[in-house]
Amino acid sequence: MRFALVGNPSVGKSLIFNQLTGLGVEVSNYPGTTVELQRGNTCFQREMIELVDLPGVYSLDGESEEEALVREFLGQREIDAVIVVTNVTRLERNLYLLLQVAEYGLPMVVVLNMVDEAVKQGLEIDTNPLRDLLGVDVILAAAAQGKNIDQIIPAALAATRPATVEIPYDHHIEAAVRSLGKIFGADRVESIQALQGIGDNPELLEAARAIADEIESRHRMTAAQIIAANRHNFAHQIADLMLKEDVMLPRSDLDGFLTRAFPGIPILLGVLVGMLLLVFALGTFLEEMIVELFDVFALEPFHMLGLPPLIDVVGASILLALQAGFGIAFPYVLLFYIFISILEDSGYMTRAAFLADNAMHRLGMHGGAVIPLTLAFGCNVPAIMSVRLLHSRRERIIGSFLATMVPCSARTVVIAGIVAAFVGIGAAFSVYAIVFVLILITGLFLSRVTPGERFGMIMEMVPLRRPDPRLVLKKAWSRLSEFLFIAMPLLLAGSVVLGLLEFFGIMTLFEQIVEPYTMALLGLPGYSATALIFGILRKEMAFETLAILAGTADLGSVLSSLQLYIFAIVTVLFVPCLATITVLLREVGARITLAITAYTVALGLFVGALLFHLLG
Amino acid sequence: MLPSAFEDYLEAILTITGDGKRPVALQEIADALDTERTVVEDTLTSLIEEGYLEQAPGGAVRLTERGFTLASRVARKHRVLQCFLTEMLGVDADRASKEACALEHGISDETIDRLSTYMGGNQPAPGRMGRCRGRDACTLLDCKEGDTVRVAMIRGPRRNRRLLDLGIFPGEVVQIRRKLPNNSVVVRAKGCDIGISPEVAASIIVESCP
Repeated sequence: MRFALVGNPSVGKSLIFNQLTGLGVEVSNYPGTTVELQRGNTCFQREMIELVDLPGVYSLDGESEEEALVREFLGQREIDAVIVVTNVTRLERNLYLLLQVAEYGLPMVVVLNMVDEAVKQGLEIDTNPLRDLLGVDVILAAAAQGKNIDQIIPAALAATRPATVEIPYDHHIEAAVRSLGKIFGADRVESIQALQGIGDNPELLEAARAIADEIESRHRMTAAQIIAANRHNFAHQIADLMLKEDVMLPRSDLDGFLTRAFPGIPILLGVLVGMLLLVFALGTFLEEMIVELFDVFALEPFHMLGLPPLIDVVGASILLALQAGFGIAFPYVLLFYIFISILEDSGYMTRAAFLADNAMHRLGMHGGAVIPLTLAFGCNVPAIMSVRLLHSRRERIIGSFLATMVPCSARTVVIAGIVAAFVGIGAAFSVYAIVFVLILITGLFLSRVTPGERFGMIMEMVPLRRPDPRLVLKKAWSRLSEFLFIAMPLLLAGSVVLGLLEFFGIMTLFEQIVEPYTMALLGLPGYSATALIFGILRKEMAFETLAILAGTADLGSVLSSLQLYIFAIVTVLFVPCLATITVLLREVGARITLAITAYTVALGLFVGALLFHLLG
Repeated sequence: MLPSAFEDYLEAILTITGDGKRPVALQEIADALDTERTVVEDTLTSLIEEGYLEQAPGGAVRLTERGFTLASRVARKHRVLQCFLTEMLGVDADRASKEACALEHGISDETIDRLSTYMGGNQPAPGRMGRCRGRDACTLLDCKEGDTVRVAMIRGPRRNRRLLDLGIFPGEVVQIRRKLPNNSVVVRAKGCDIGISPEVAASIIVESCP
């Protein structure tokens, strides 16, 4: 048995999914897309049931990847029943999607979730009109309290009759559906979709487009607009039958603060800065602990073994990579993801995106770009992954450029460890200032030259609510594992290669060759170039390598303040790390990845040289 | 081909009556065109001779079938041109109306069709003759926080598909919940708050509702 959960974003679908499946959830990539599907199994009366959590969508006829995925999934009809989850406090809008799903004529169960909130708002719900209309089971539930969730699986098992619904469309649309059905044998759903330009039968699409153009010129509304209006109006009628409003109890309106320019923007800045400070404070503490543990319990005992030198180098490289990976992953990346998940689940992220919309426009993106750019402070890898939230390729390109330049937690280690420690705290902040100004200039420039259409933001402000700690942890954990999955193998391989290069003396040779150039250009000794190259592997390794190569942890005694400052700036700007390059390849393709890499290298060297010649 | 003054008369009569069915008194026409009664009288006589108008009781005149067709065509040209001037070129509404009056007589039907398609079928519904939306309708950006308005039309419907799915479509009544100084807006549609960028808000044409 296989059931799928469908619903609008943030209707409590994931919560229900989690309650039904418990642990043992498997996240899988749906073939051909980058959108991920959650699958989980549950047992009911000795029968194995597979549940698929489809991504939250507003419609089945949109153009986003998620909508295409859900549409395709339902179209394949390889499921035994659809469980449609709706937010009963926003019933009318949720019914719009429900009606579209019902048109597919699959066996169906409707879950009217968030009854508890509806009661608080003084809503009285009558499920009969919906039950009669669709001929399916309707369950009133409150996932936050786990109320009636246990009825869902039995109801889905009992659902064998397909849902029936006939949305009354405009007579021109109905006529078009009839003729498309007659000529091409297309069913109602196919015809309606074809009229909106969706489908894979070119002849059907061609004919549908001709009809749709005709309808548009008569109505002065596109076929898609008419269809949407018909569905909304039908949803409105049903919602009217189902809901009885007692008294609208006054709701405290937090949005009065959050979405105003004042105090909304100061709150936004406070939240972002506070989050960064907290992550760094906690992260530094945890990182030191993890690194220390590795040193004492893994690296030192390993060196004590007295293995042959080659094996010792390879083994130590692997341990170093693990130490680096975990030293970044748990303290910074996991913590950061926990905070981001809280912001997302509480609904604050959409407010932040709304407030930041105008600023992001200047950089050629829309408000949603605030998410990758914030994520990038933790680690560029998840930031680049989240760039796909942006609609157009143009925005994704600009977003990846800028996210790559944001100083991630590893680069913060470099700034803190080199500049703040040996040059001064003011100088450390000036590094940030320089990077931010460069990001700004890059954004302003890219927004002018990047080809492609501009899309504006159209985003639902999801209701504010208290995030569920278990869901937050789970989300953060699954993102962390995604990071480890991508970054770890690279760290291991890269670390071993560099270890071997070092072992065979190729590094020393390299240093001798580049020394004249680095001295002339940046005023840095040759071994700093090696450190920079280690920085490609993992940014904060540049700092550690520098210390090892310089032969002392007290860098101030071997390098001048200016040299340290320039080294830090170049490291921060220079080339995204290997893991970032890998995700860039996956998300934006080889050409853009190359462009970003070349740009950051050039920028790092240019700024470093400029500073050297100005200040030196 | 009629002299342009004749076309103006027919257009004026159509504008006064709205649907062209009602008889119109001479004085009304003179007022609308801001001319002398005697001049109007002469022109109307010619138009009746040409079969565009017919005499109605009490000295009034009425559009014939032929007259109505021509008047509608001129009125449409006026609408399309005025919209083009105001919305695409940014000419202010009064001047656009005057210039449209001058241009409407020389332009071919085909060019008007092409212009109309180019603007995305973007001229107002028939009924509001001779006037472009520019004057009495506005976009979401012209609304204040707390206003309740009806969506009249959405420009560029294909790229703004999500608006439809979130319940912002022609005919729907929405409330402006928030408008930032930088023109980002939050509207409430179907009981949900939707955040919208300024450029998307500018493509949503609304009319205030009572």
